[in-house]
Amino acid sequence: MDALKLEFEPLRCVACGLCETVCSLNRDSVLSSMGSSIILHMEDKANYFGLVLKTAGDGLVLGRPEGHGAPQQPGSGGPGAKPILLREPCDLCGGEPKCAKVCPTGCIKVVD
Amino acid sequence: MDLMNGRIAALDLSTGEVTETQLDEDIVFADPSCVSRANAIWKEHGEDSLVLGTGLLTGSLVPGACAGIVAGETGLMPVMGNFATELKLSGFDFIALTGTAPAPGYVWVRDGIIEFVKSDAMRQLDSWGRTDRVRDDQGDRRIQVLAAGPWGDSGNPCAQLVNCHWGGEDKAGLGSRLASKNVMAVAVRGMGELMVSDVERHFQTCLELRSSLVSRLGPSKGLASYFDRAGKEDFSSLAHRDVACFGCPHPCRTFLKIAEDPKQMALSHREPGYLHYDVPALRKAFEVGLDARSATEILMMCARRGAEPVAVLERASSGGRQLTPAIVKDLLVAPWDMEPMPAKSYEGGFSIDRAVAIGLCPRLWGKAGFDPSAIGPCVESALGRGVPM
Repeated sequence: MDALKLEFEPLRCVACGLCETVCSLNRDSVLSSMGSSIILHMEDKANYFGLVLKTAGDGLVLGRPEGHGAPQQPGSGGPGAKPILLREPCDLCGGEPKCAKVCPTGCIKVVD
Repeated sequence: MDLMNGRIAALDLSTGEVTETQLDEDIVFADPSCVSRANAIWKEHGEDSLVLGTGLLTGSLVPGACAGIVAGETGLMPVMGNFATELKLSGFDFIALTGTAPAPGYVWVRDGIIEFVKSDAMRQLDSWGRTDRVRDDQGDRRIQVLAAGPWGDSGNPCAQLVNCHWGGEDKAGLGSRLASKNVMAVAVRGMGELMVSDVERHFQTCLELRSSLVSRLGPSKGLASYFDRAGKEDFSSLAHRDVACFGCPHPCRTFLKIAEDPKQMALSHREPGYLHYDVPALRKAFEVGLDARSATEILMMCARRGAEPVAVLERASSGGRQLTPAIVKDLLVAPWDMEPMPAKSYEGGFSIDRAVAIGLCPRLWGKAGFDPSAIGPCVESALGRGVPM
């Protein structure tokens, strides 16, 4: 399981929010988005959205629509780190990540 | 209570007083329709009240479980996007707004709290400005906002409530009903949680239902999956990204960028375009000879003003004149004396049907075919029992 990790194809994301919800469901057995290790970042008026994942080993993994390597400009309103730093890191749901299963577009992938 | 909070709140806007009643589980299980419940609450609180509600399945993992409802004197509107999910997770199943606030402001709902926030400045803003103001005031970009605009303020029967900048749900003139209470917007943020009876089974049954829907519907093409005209070149060449409502595997929302290159994926222009899902409005726009760019510009202006675009386009094109965004812009500044449009003008929009009644998207389930027997296992896993649908 240690070799598994999640990868994003951000442009496939449609911002349905299911990944957040099933993450909380797996962790806390409730429907919510508050306990998730994955966060949907959304600037709806600009139609800018992507994912932020808190991992145990790699810190924050950003799924930005402009690409992983693009730097975040100060004040850009891009994915913010503060709220997610207070959350538990992804535990890969014990080896079968539910966010990847529930994602309707294949934006979230499990890689070995 | 699984999938529900069991709470109905009533906010008397004239005093700021909030009263709560319990939502009886037995009554919900006997008749789970949020439409009939919203109507009953509306009647209980008087004709000038406005009721916001969520469906039994809203916020669950059932595909398309995003729908809520607003009921008022002029009719009903479904609420799509993320508003209803956030409302439910804020701790309330239904909220009734009664009376009239002594000064302009907005209703702010979160963490089991509902309050009226006075804001004189909001009166000067359009619906986009009101949404932005609430989010700035409360410091959270994910607050969901139903906002009236200047057309609502003026009492125009063809005003619309705008859902986080976009229009498409309110074809009942509820923008004017809300504004008549001195309420410029209703804002919700859901930081609570909902229980489900059998977590693993709910996940599995909903996953199976989702897979079945996806294989039946095929790949999503955004709005073009639901409205053929959106597949034409003038529309598709401006398309940026498709956006789903909460829990939707086959989204009907396509964002067109008109102020910058649609291929621009980084955050640059703050207001680059418009999220299209208002099929009746787009159909009308194309009928009167507009292309996708002009239609986008006009729908954007209508949303800002809180004006229902089918009525605007009907009125603006009367006499057969060739419409341009500039003509509509001039007309939108001064709200007109207008009559509500007949219901048939809104064909292809969101219907108030059995899907909405339990919190599911009527457009998704209309396309897939609403099938209570297929949804049943998802409901039973969530509630520990079945309900009539």
